[in-house]
Amino acid sequence: MDFQLSDDQLAIQDAVAKFFQEEWNSDIRRDALDDGPVKISDEIWQQIVEMGWIGIAVSEEHGGSGLELLTAAMLAEEGGQVLFPSKLCTAFTTAFALDQCQSGDTAALLTDHMTGQQFVSLAVDEANGTFGPENNATAATLAGDGGTISGEKILVPDAECADCFLVAVRLNDSGALVKVAADAPGLTITAMQRIDGQSISSLQLADVPFSSDDILGGTDDADQVLLRTYEFWTTLISADLLGVTTKALEMTNEYAKVRQQFNKPIGSFQAVSHRLADVKVAEEVGRSLLYGACLALQENPDQCFPQVSAAKAWLSDAAAEATEAALQLHGGIGYTWELDVHLLLRQARSHAVYLGDAAYHRKRIGNFITG
Amino acid sequence: MDLKFSEQDEAYRKKLLDWLASSGELISRTMQGTDDSGERNPMQAMRDWQKHLYEAGYVGMSWPKIYGGYEASLTEQVIANEELARAKIPPSLNTVGLTIVAPTMIQHGSEEQKQKYLKRILRAEDIWCQGFSEPGAGSDLASLKTNAVLDGDNFVVNGQKVWTSAGHIADMCVLLVRTNRDAPKREGITYLLADMKSEGITIRPLRNAGGGSHFNEVFFDDVKIPKENMVGELHGGWAIARSTLDNERSGLSGVVALEANFKRLLQLTESASIGGEPAIEDAHTRDQLAQYWIEIEGLKYLGYRTLSEQLKGQKPGSQASVGKLFASKLRQAMAKNALEIVGPYAALTKKSPHVMDRGRWVAGYFDSLGYGIGGGTSEIMHNVIAERVLELPRSVED
Repeated sequence: MDFQLSDDQLAIQDAVAKFFQEEWNSDIRRDALDDGPVKISDEIWQQIVEMGWIGIAVSEEHGGSGLELLTAAMLAEEGGQVLFPSKLCTAFTTAFALDQCQSGDTAALLTDHMTGQQFVSLAVDEANGTFGPENNATAATLAGDGGTISGEKILVPDAECADCFLVAVRLNDSGALVKVAADAPGLTITAMQRIDGQSISSLQLADVPFSSDDILGGTDDADQVLLRTYEFWTTLISADLLGVTTKALEMTNEYAKVRQQFNKPIGSFQAVSHRLADVKVAEEVGRSLLYGACLALQENPDQCFPQVSAAKAWLSDAAAEATEAALQLHGGIGYTWELDVHLLLRQARSHAVYLGDAAYHRKRIGNFITG
Repeated sequence: MDLKFSEQDEAYRKKLLDWLASSGELISRTMQGTDDSGERNPMQAMRDWQKHLYEAGYVGMSWPKIYGGYEASLTEQVIANEELARAKIPPSLNTVGLTIVAPTMIQHGSEEQKQKYLKRILRAEDIWCQGFSEPGAGSDLASLKTNAVLDGDNFVVNGQKVWTSAGHIADMCVLLVRTNRDAPKREGITYLLADMKSEGITIRPLRNAGGGSHFNEVFFDDVKIPKENMVGELHGGWAIARSTLDNERSGLSGVVALEANFKRLLQLTESASIGGEPAIEDAHTRDQLAQYWIEIEGLKYLGYRTLSEQLKGQKPGSQASVGKLFASKLRQAMAKNALEIVGPYAALTKKSPHVMDRGRWVAGYFDSLGYGIGGGTSEIMHNVIAERVLELPRSVED
């Protein structure tokens, strides 16, 4: 029985926080709102690669560090706190997907991805008004050893630096992730713009060719690999949302101690302090649910969806609650461009509807509860 | 990170489950109100039940052996609390004695008091009640006015206590009294142990909003309490009371109760209908059920985090107040949702024709409202979180 971060994890968390403090600041995010998607400089990304972050939860057999999935989630949370771009979540997720597979091809791609030689992104969400890979309309048809993919993917992260995409498709009435090179014939990448300035694009796939070797996990395990990958990605985005929640609460809590009105710190007024207490409760419950999701993923990856959905549903709401409270309780200054509150709010609102909004995840839980 | 208990702990769980399985007859006899001598006497039956539970090793688990306890490990206590909450065993008659009085006495009592009272609490030979709140001292407990004057070897007590659960059946009472009216309010309070059969004590049942009578008003009219029944120092009662107030706030066993509530609500959605369809098919209802499930999961994992901290020797801190606030809100949300599902029948008394499930849902709704008040109101929980967890400046002057 130990449901806490280990001493090693706490040490990693400290080191990561220190790295972000030295190398990152939120002004980059503010500027990106006017000047196009936020970029992580090559120098910073190179350091991240050299520190071995991308393979942190990849099995040792495939050249990773073999740490718990929770460790990756912890890094995503730290990233969320300092508004570091969620590219880290993308990188962890595709590493996780490739790590599930045994073929020589994917092992080589995973090594390239972990060493920064190539960057692999992934595409799940679609424009058909639904969430979740089970509702994907993008179809792959396979005849013999080859086939084609047609459809459209939206909200695809970090496409401008991707060499390759893992595209979620319907294949033989089941789901699959298929490797598609960024320069594949029939693939058009169009930049979209997210309200928080993070990089997203849409992919138009018109008869994009693939070979059966490009199906992650092969035809037999394809669905399982896709679903596990989706659950893992969703958990990382939940961790990012937890970071945003924590940061919004921390900023507002500090402000409520120093900001004086009516000759008192505003935090001494119950209208202010009780709202902050509610945010604290939401954060504590969210952290608990996130740990629960990480543990379920680690121990029971094919049955973890209720815990994963619980964390995503709760934290999508909690991050909105925390950032809206931050804006309101900072008063006039909270409504300015100069303060970071709106950056956190934008990230909360973007991630809340990414990979399934709260209602979608509650629907999954509803189906689970009622059998 | 893992949630597994050790083999030794699992063996302990098995032993407990075996004991429960072999105690079915005792449990059903107790529930019917039959005591050890075969007489129909519900109060004695409950006392006898606690004695058996104690002898099996499941009362006083955390207490030192010298006072009759078992010195069980923290994980054993958690397992026992969880399994006992899950099994439908008779409710405890002596919650105040076990969770408030005994820990206080073990920490602050004299050796004589410990010897005299602790073992009797374990066997339910003494049932205790708590005389803290007063009509004028609820959330602001330290403003209490019940007065005690030392006269020779006795305190003479005058005043009134309220919300005294089990007051009408209790043998003993832990009492907070004012012994110095001139000192700041927290420095003039003394902690006493009162015999409920003392001359001058009048007990009047207090009916709650839902119609039940679990509470009492207790009046003290020149009641003599011997000096040796003082716990700790004269005027030193406030710190003693504070040290065990947190014991009232729930842990993992509260989750088991919420899970049971959730299960009943789920069953209701299967049998009731909304707009001519089974409620369980209703999209809004499904969304609400999912939300409750999420929140119970959250509370459970929060409990595991707290337990992990305790296992590493850290103080549970203020997570108890987070859990208390969250659990009472959740309980209320579920109870209100049940009324929506029950629909027009939610307006009926339990005796009315057409009433659903003998009025259980309306009764549960009234019960849920009490959870936001008893053991520290939700407003006070907000203050505790703001002041002790977020370290915000105090909102009220003392």
